[in-house]
Amino acid sequence: MTRSKTFYLIVFSLILAVYYIFIATYLNQLGYTNHEQLFYIEKGKIITQGLGNKLRVMGLTSPLLPFYGSYIFSFINPVLAPVLASAVGTAILFYIMATSLVKRNKDNFYLYLLAALFILHPGLIYTAASGKSVYMILIFFFLFFLNMLRFYNSNTTYHVSIASIFFVLLVFSDYKCIWLALFFIPLVLSISLHSLNLSEKESVFRLHLSFNNPSLRRKLINKTFSIYSIIFILPVASIAIYKVLNLTHADDLNYFLESPYATWNIIAEKFEYSAAQTAARFAIPELSILVSLKAIVFCPMIVLAIYLFKQNTYQILTLLTPFGLIEFLKVKYDGVNLVYQYYLLFLILAMLCIIFRARFIKNQQMLKAALTIIVAVQLYIGYVFLTKSYIPEESNFASVLLNRTSNKVDEQNREIADYINTLRDTDHILVDDAVAYSVACYVKNIKTLTMPYQESYLSAVEAPEKYDGYVLIANEANPMLGYTQLTDFYLDGIRRKNRNLNIYKIYVTDYWTLYKIL
Amino acid sequence: MHTTASEGLITERTEGIYSGCRNSSVFKLLLQDGFLGEEECNKIDDYSTTIGASHIKIALNFGFISRKNYERSLTNAGYVFENIREEAHDEEVLGKIDLRFADERLAIPLRIEDNRVVTIMADPDDQLFIDFVRLTYGLEPLIIVASDLDITWLSHKLLGQKYVKSAVFELLNSDNESSALTTFTSGQLVFIFTFIGLIAAGLVLNFKMTSIIVNVFMSVFFLFTISFKLFLSLVGSKFELYQAVTKSEIKNLDDESLPVYTIHLPVYKEDKLIKKLIWNLQSIDYPRHLLDIKLLIEEDDDKTLNAVRNLDFPAIFEVIVVPFHMPKTKPKACNYGLHFSRGTYLTIYDAEDIPDTDQLKKVVAMFNKLPEDYICVQCALNYFNRNENFLTRMFTLEYSYWFDYVLPGLDTLDIPIPLGGTSNHFKLAQLVELGAWDPFNVTEDADLGVRAYAKGHKIAVINSTTYEEANNDFFNWIRQRSRWIKGYMQTYLVHMRNPMALIKKIGIKGFLGFNFFVGATPIMFLINPILILIFICYVVFDLGIIRQIFPDWVLFISIFNLMVGNILMIYVNMMAVFKRRFYELILFAIANPIYWLMHSVAAYKGLYQLIVNPFYWEKTNHGLSKVNNQNNAVK
Repeated sequence: MTRSKTFYLIVFSLILAVYYIFIATYLNQLGYTNHEQLFYIEKGKIITQGLGNKLRVMGLTSPLLPFYGSYIFSFINPVLAPVLASAVGTAILFYIMATSLVKRNKDNFYLYLLAALFILHPGLIYTAASGKSVYMILIFFFLFFLNMLRFYNSNTTYHVSIASIFFVLLVFSDYKCIWLALFFIPLVLSISLHSLNLSEKESVFRLHLSFNNPSLRRKLINKTFSIYSIIFILPVASIAIYKVLNLTHADDLNYFLESPYATWNIIAEKFEYSAAQTAARFAIPELSILVSLKAIVFCPMIVLAIYLFKQNTYQILTLLTPFGLIEFLKVKYDGVNLVYQYYLLFLILAMLCIIFRARFIKNQQMLKAALTIIVAVQLYIGYVFLTKSYIPEESNFASVLLNRTSNKVDEQNREIADYINTLRDTDHILVDDAVAYSVACYVKNIKTLTMPYQESYLSAVEAPEKYDGYVLIANEANPMLGYTQLTDFYLDGIRRKNRNLNIYKIYVTDYWTLYKIL
Repeated sequence: MHTTASEGLITERTEGIYSGCRNSSVFKLLLQDGFLGEEECNKIDDYSTTIGASHIKIALNFGFISRKNYERSLTNAGYVFENIREEAHDEEVLGKIDLRFADERLAIPLRIEDNRVVTIMADPDDQLFIDFVRLTYGLEPLIIVASDLDITWLSHKLLGQKYVKSAVFELLNSDNESSALTTFTSGQLVFIFTFIGLIAAGLVLNFKMTSIIVNVFMSVFFLFTISFKLFLSLVGSKFELYQAVTKSEIKNLDDESLPVYTIHLPVYKEDKLIKKLIWNLQSIDYPRHLLDIKLLIEEDDDKTLNAVRNLDFPAIFEVIVVPFHMPKTKPKACNYGLHFSRGTYLTIYDAEDIPDTDQLKKVVAMFNKLPEDYICVQCALNYFNRNENFLTRMFTLEYSYWFDYVLPGLDTLDIPIPLGGTSNHFKLAQLVELGAWDPFNVTEDADLGVRAYAKGHKIAVINSTTYEEANNDFFNWIRQRSRWIKGYMQTYLVHMRNPMALIKKIGIKGFLGFNFFVGATPIMFLINPILILIFICYVVFDLGIIRQIFPDWVLFISIFNLMVGNILMIYVNMMAVFKRRFYELILFAIANPIYWLMHSVAAYKGLYQLIVNPFYWEKTNHGLSKVNNQNNAVK
């Protein structure tokens, strides 16, 4: 790759980042938010401004890497940090992909195609402007598969180890991706089988031979296990270590997965991605068997990509693993709709295959024409997927972008936070950020909030009048009511305990009520 | 039988007498007995002319005749092989002969008795030496026939003092700064005691804070060092299929244009391995007459000497007896051997080593390709008895990642390479110029690698392997490892006497690499058990005192670093199986934390010895393996 081309790619990536930042801040101004974004903002503020034991927040907030990816930008603007991170991150994704492309293919057509996708594809714009961690998942997913493909060519431990490291990063960007490991078993077996020194060429017969000969069987199993270990021991071990840290510092191995204080997924999956929510609205919700088909509809380019590797068994098996992943996720988390990011994986994967294989196709004109048409179709399908999404935060994104309609829920969060911001710095408000992170993230001085990460929280819950003058209560209408103890029942409880308490409603929205306690 | 040389042999036609072995009555006997053929005699003459050694030396050391057959022939002819070790000697007589000449001719004049020079000779008909005695002393020799090995032993013992002193003190005299004779310099002692003093004072003044600082520092250091190793392994793994020298390049080498190659075989009480050693050497693909193989035996090592004596087939090496002088170390023996080496290149093998048969040719081809500043080529080491027990499996994993990944990583990044114990091939002239090995350093190889870099030379890594015997006994392993770790400490102390000067010599990258690779390795083994102890006290036994001393964030960092560090090290070990396809070993990588605890035991032993007995060479016993079949070495 020439130096000038690198320079142009850097310049274009910067321009792309500015373009994304513009859209992201514009949407933010219009009021588009999502759980993940708000969660990161609040946790970032706790780390920067909070008082008390912040270790759990620092070490056990999950997913860890997107959180810190966002936190880095909180020094520029705490509220815009997630969207700045996603905008810049998506531009970096473009740069990484473009660099890989330029190294392998001198034809600029493919570069323009990639640029067109990044500028226009609604899914990638959503990735860049939503403030979610999709950008990070896509980056590590791309790098993982890129290195796996390079491993098939180079056959060196280097590429497989690097792939493994990227897989660790991928898992720490989205824990669910660990299940991808399951679908590599046939692939690894195929690699091992192929490497055995047998005269038989057909895979089935090779398998038959090697399983019926003790020596060959031992070799096959050893090699399969070794390759599998070298790819997946690091991510599995990393998760194990992380679980030990959760155990030692939160007394729960799965704290990072199951506690609403550690991850935004619990709440979001229950209320945003739940299939039960959408089942009533749609006659045919997502069915596991149709998910793969839906992925192909979303990204027809993947079919072409598989075709490009038609004579390479490893590569085809590799390309099939994400299908296995989404099918598995659909079965394992049957009550949850697949979010947009899992469909975007196929777009990235398809582009990776184009990057790898396009130059080997003789009929370039035909390929280019096909790709142009497919990309145009994909842009439209991407738009349809976003606007018709079952998931509110995705369809909201499209509606805010197209209709400039703001999010009502977030307006309420901002409204109550604005009121809290008017209180004196010496006032203290008891807040349970399991659900109220969406309010806490807008509070300017987070020191005024007493939250569960602080040691004084439990005492404050027991005797709020002694510790805090105020308490933020989730109303009956608040969908996340079941995830917090600071509800009307709580107020009744402390009233029963202390009849002398005077509790006044200070500020009320549909979802929140701020009480003053005397 | 004492014989007197017949007079009148000093003729004008000396050429004929000196050059042809057929002129010697001894060789006539050997020909007559059928132990030598005409063709072999021609070869002996050729080699003798080229090398400059006596015919008998060539015959016995280049695989023409076994010592047993030689003695048999002479005994049948009436010669008696005397035991000469206790023979009296006269310093004045000895003062007129140089060891090299005595060694070449396998003969030594001892004293003057009854107006004759009592001369010990392996070939009583060596006219050149007889004439030398007559001319030098003006007297007729009284010849005592003795075994060549005894003559070698005696001549090195009596005449080798100058050379052995040079072997011990050469580096010290020429480059005092590089010698490990002084273990700790004053500056280093001040630094170490100040550091210990500060920690002690800190513990007295504020126990908690000091403990926190020490703990965080140790655990961060631990993770950083292991991450560096992983990084090196990754860099190295990028080139795992790279062939520094290809088969076709070896094929293109012309045998006649190959240089003389010296092989040093320093041994001590390795009597069991001598036969195997000969088998291994015979399989080396290199012209026999261009090999200069030296078996370096210590003066008090009769076991090995007798094993050589009792061989019933021809040997293909020359025995050099290293006279007694402290320290009794392998580098001292090698330095001594250098005085008698005549190769352009030189390498060292241990007695049990099985080098790839084309290794020497590969190295020659490699040197031909490399720039002049490359003075050493390091081959990979691995083990032929890897599946013997847990220890040998772990050792194999360790060596595989070390030589197949880490060293190529260091090579790629141009960081000083601590050489492995054997199979490092040098340009002999530059090696001597560099001061050769430091006899006071117990990992002289690692030290030499760093010194070479510091002096502006380079070291390359090549795709050739020598298979060794992995230590299969726990206590033997601890002894060997404690020496290695002590040697790393010595090497670190030697080169860190003046850190600024070192930075100037090897650059900041080399300096950091040296610190994190050579310096950090022993430190890591020393702190590992402390971190594990804290971890067990906290996580397993949940001791309250740990929570009282260390705040949550310290424990979080410590646990993270310890666990991630161990996982990364397991991973690095797992990587090791791939290049050599030792897939059956991959599960053993998980046992690396246990293996590291063994390292820690050795590290504490090494540290103790560094303080009380820095030059003591912990001997590793070889030949313990029940696996001795060369075919076990997977190529």
